[in-house]
Amino acid sequence: MKRLLHVTPSGWTGFAFAAFCILILPEISGRYWLSVFTSAGCFALAIAGVAFMYARLGMVSLTQVGLMGVGGWVALRLNYAFGWPFEVNMVLAALATMVCGWVLALPALRMRGLYLALVTLMAAGGLEIIFATFQFPNGGTGFWGVKTGSADPFLRPWIATSPEAYLRYVIICAVLGFVFIELHRRLQPGRAWALIRRSEAAAMAAGVNVTLYKTWAFGIAGLLGGAAGALLAGSLGLLDDGTFRASESVMIFALAVVGGARYWQGAVVAAVLYKVLPALLNIWGVDADLAFVIFGVGLLHAVITAPDGIAGQLIDAVRGLTAKRRKEASDA
Amino acid sequence: MRLGLKLAIPAALLGLSLAGQALADPVCGMNNGQAATGEPIIVGGIYGDAAPGDWSSSTDSAAAYFDCVNANGGINGRPIDYRVENDQWNPEAAAQAAALLVNDTPTVAMVGNGSFIEMAVNANTYEEAGIMVMASACAISECFETPNIVSTNQGPLPSNLGAAQYAVEELGAQHIACIGLNIPNNGIWSCGAVNDFMASRGLQGTTVLLNPGAPDVNSALLEAMATGADTILINQPAGLALAILSAAQEQDVRDLYNWIAPTPLYDLSVPAAVGEYWWGHIYVNAELAPLSVNGPDAQNWIAVLDAYGSPDDPRDTFGQGGYLSARFFVDAMLAMDPAQVGDRAAVADAIRGISGYTSDLMCGPFYVGDADFHMPNHAGYMVKIVEGGFEIVRDCYEYDSPYFEPHRALEAAMGL
Repeated sequence: MKRLLHVTPSGWTGFAFAAFCILILPEISGRYWLSVFTSAGCFALAIAGVAFMYARLGMVSLTQVGLMGVGGWVALRLNYAFGWPFEVNMVLAALATMVCGWVLALPALRMRGLYLALVTLMAAGGLEIIFATFQFPNGGTGFWGVKTGSADPFLRPWIATSPEAYLRYVIICAVLGFVFIELHRRLQPGRAWALIRRSEAAAMAAGVNVTLYKTWAFGIAGLLGGAAGALLAGSLGLLDDGTFRASESVMIFALAVVGGARYWQGAVVAAVLYKVLPALLNIWGVDADLAFVIFGVGLLHAVITAPDGIAGQLIDAVRGLTAKRRKEASDA
Repeated sequence: MRLGLKLAIPAALLGLSLAGQALADPVCGMNNGQAATGEPIIVGGIYGDAAPGDWSSSTDSAAAYFDCVNANGGINGRPIDYRVENDQWNPEAAAQAAALLVNDTPTVAMVGNGSFIEMAVNANTYEEAGIMVMASACAISECFETPNIVSTNQGPLPSNLGAAQYAVEELGAQHIACIGLNIPNNGIWSCGAVNDFMASRGLQGTTVLLNPGAPDVNSALLEAMATGADTILINQPAGLALAILSAAQEQDVRDLYNWIAPTPLYDLSVPAAVGEYWWGHIYVNAELAPLSVNGPDAQNWIAVLDAYGSPDDPRDTFGQGGYLSARFFVDAMLAMDPAQVGDRAAVADAIRGISGYTSDLMCGPFYVGDADFHMPNHAGYMVKIVEGGFEIVRDCYEYDSPYFEPHRALEAAMGL
């Protein structure tokens, strides 16, 4: 238990960063940046899910934004159907998306690499068409819950009705998501995933239920994606199919690689690149589409020189600096 | 030769007249020829420019008019600082644009907004912030059914109704198939109103929906034909409407149906784009006065764009809407106590107090009023696409639909 709850220096850094984001960031941000950071927080949670699958199992999922859409759809539907508190809707949306992740995993279990990526991309395309055809609930009746005209109001968490409080709420949810992943990494699933990543045959020979643990991983990615979708719905009060295109799933996977899939910092870097950078370019009066060029350069950089992404490079730099200082101190 | 001379003389006179109009000085605001140098009054605007469409012509025209006002005395010596943001057809970007312009900036009002997205996302933001939006290119229900947004354009619902009414009364339509976008607050909303209108006349209306993310125009056209309709209403942005017409031309079904459309097809580039096959066969509702009407305000709009806009700024209906919103806003500001023109609440009250403003660009008076809905523009023109342009086939006419009953009651209460 002690080992399970041990907080590493990286973990302390994460908690300090979260404390900054919860206590300081909302106080110094205008409404524009509150909106941008809230959106970035939602996507950081979703990116954490896709990065975790890639880092722990080597599985490429290109459905994550589609799964966010599923979570958002369920949260909206529950909100309009029953008027339950946001937390209940979010948890149920996350669980429903987790089941979707499992369903998605079943045909994908026998596939790896490019073929797995293609299957998940096709699933994302299918979800995109479903969202575009049936739209997101807006207060109507029936299963799809779509009515003609303006959307009904969406209930935010009662403790987070203001934009500042909602940003804090999103960051706390994101931190819980990161901790959830880390706890899994330290428990039996983490060991099983590590073995599967090295060799599925060896894992099976060692008695690891490969099917179970791969499905489990898809479920976790779906859970986080669903929660992120519900949080995004809470932020905007409505959702649009244009947000959940298959191309966006490809984009956030690429950015997860650029950021560094093995580290929590990587998901944060990816979310910052995805949401904060275009907003910054917009403020500077530069066409936000320039961000796509920067993403491409970042991806080339990651593929050629930084397999652990920007976060890996930063962590290596800090470690190198620390080691150098220690050596200088011991020499002195 | 004599025939040529007969044609040449009116043509020369028309040319001289148009040249004279183009050279005419624009009239803006206080119109005193002195640049405004006082403390700026900040005004915002949001437009959508990304696939599948560029809706910036409304803010372009509004910006040109404000530049003209600033060069002519501003608002009692105070210039208008007009700041615009692109919502990129993205709800998150739309929310961020409103957060920047409304919450982080002391804007007194939003003017010239044109978007498919932002009004749905930001209607509550505008209400909570107590800011009024004088939009110009609205296409969704939130533009017309919320308390803090009013638009000079009609949107698809009235424009569809106007086209449907013309088709019933002049073309003998019995069954209209409305091809709309599969967006609840756009295509479903506006085609649904056509169905209600047809039912109110004992006729039939059917909605056919097109997915804007992956539009399959052939399927939509075939579905519309399969409904058994005698009239096809193309309730689409111009690009998709042209694609549907192209598909219909390939199947040579022009003469099997009446073809009608709301205002997006009233664009000077459309007659050439549709080609000779369609000339004389497509009837389009114009929400604002067609360019050929060429009244004083229409001429002033062109003069403002020529003097203060860019040559690339579209001279289209949404541009007219942007000019009108800016002009009415400036008129309301000039009627205010000069000490209060920087106060958002006072400006919102002044905008709500707008009543009976007129322009030759609009068929009826423009008003706002203190109501939970605003749709002051519900009368328009009907034009036919002909070689080289449009021919007016019905002058200003009121649309006849139960939808407008609350609006007419409000107008009666305001003495209009």
